[in-house]
Amino acid sequence: MTTSLANHAWNACSSALQFDRYLAGELDPSDAERFRAHVDGCARCTSVLNELRDEAKERLPPLRMVPFPGRSRLPLRALAAAAGIAAAASLLLLVRPAGTRLKGSGFALGMYVEHLGEVRRASPGETVAPGDAVRFAVSSPVDVFVAVLSLDAKGHGSIYFPAGGRAERVQAGNDVALPLGTRLDATVGDEHVLGLFCASPVELEPLRLQLERGGPAIPDGCQVTRWSFIKR
Amino acid sequence: MILDAGAIERLYRSHGHIVLRRARALLGSEPDAQEALQEVFTSLLRAPHSLRNATSVVAWLYQSTTHFCLNQLRNRRTGARLLQSGLAPVPAHVAGGGETLAELRRILSRLPADVAAATVYHHLDGMTHAEVAGLLGCSRRKVGYLLERAQRSLALLEQSA
Repeated sequence: MTTSLANHAWNACSSALQFDRYLAGELDPSDAERFRAHVDGCARCTSVLNELRDEAKERLPPLRMVPFPGRSRLPLRALAAAAGIAAAASLLLLVRPAGTRLKGSGFALGMYVEHLGEVRRASPGETVAPGDAVRFAVSSPVDVFVAVLSLDAKGHGSIYFPAGGRAERVQAGNDVALPLGTRLDATVGDEHVLGLFCASPVELEPLRLQLERGGPAIPDGCQVTRWSFIKR
Repeated sequence: MILDAGAIERLYRSHGHIVLRRARALLGSEPDAQEALQEVFTSLLRAPHSLRNATSVVAWLYQSTTHFCLNQLRNRRTGARLLQSGLAPVPAHVAGGGETLAELRRILSRLPADVAAATVYHHLDGMTHAEVAGLLGCSRRKVGYLLERAQRSLALLEQSA
């Protein structure tokens, strides 16, 4: 057995599947009796069984009874397509009701985090760490001008994307990775993120300043997605 | 078994911990494991017939969770490539740490789907070849072949890591 597998091999006389089937009452009575008799005489299997019983007591969150529409139809392709759908379903999408707003739906922001060399999809409210690398991806049914702003726990506003002073054009698509990633600084606490989807290349510095003052007002022609993460 | 929403909810309450434990071990991320938990059970709402034909609920949950998690690991690999293309290299003090589980996940993400699944079932779950064959729907001989392939691939990947 190779090193990686040897370090994580199952450590009981019967498989994990047999333990779970026993606990679920799926084994035939005679098989269950044999299993029970073995466990009673085996300290290692008794320990595993007790651990599994304890884990089964964990309180689960509510089951999401409404499946994400269309999720199963999406191809599993670049940048974990499914992740964008999950994020989109969780984000609060604010649509400016009047004026020259960007019309339509389907605008979504996804975030990916690299921590200790592993990349995962980030969900709103997730905990991340200083030094983690993050990169955003957007979904949009049309070509759109995009910016990603944030407000950290100390009230400092920053522009994660783009590097320039105006929202940058991004092509229509699902989970289009923005070309600029960033590494999180050492400021810990709640951080609020705004994804701006605009019909024109809006100026971002005024929005960053408004963000620090408790805003911003959503510019005409823009939709905004909001979420937050916890850095610690 | 009639699998309406109520039955699936009850199944979630009685068996969800199996999925969650498995997803945590395979994915190593609590949010991803929670997502796997939801996805495995909501997939039943979309396609309840997939469980109706199963001989064991627990075995079906093992299959479904393993399939979902291995897909996630492969997607992470794609995501990692995209991240690295837009970022400076991760400093050694951030990336280091001898994370053998993370290493194992990276290796699993590089194996063909059936080889990775056989590896997980046999080595991480301690299943016999017969049990693995039952879950994969193939012969024991095929399981032996898949595990041999896994050993060769793992040895090569570990050498190149």
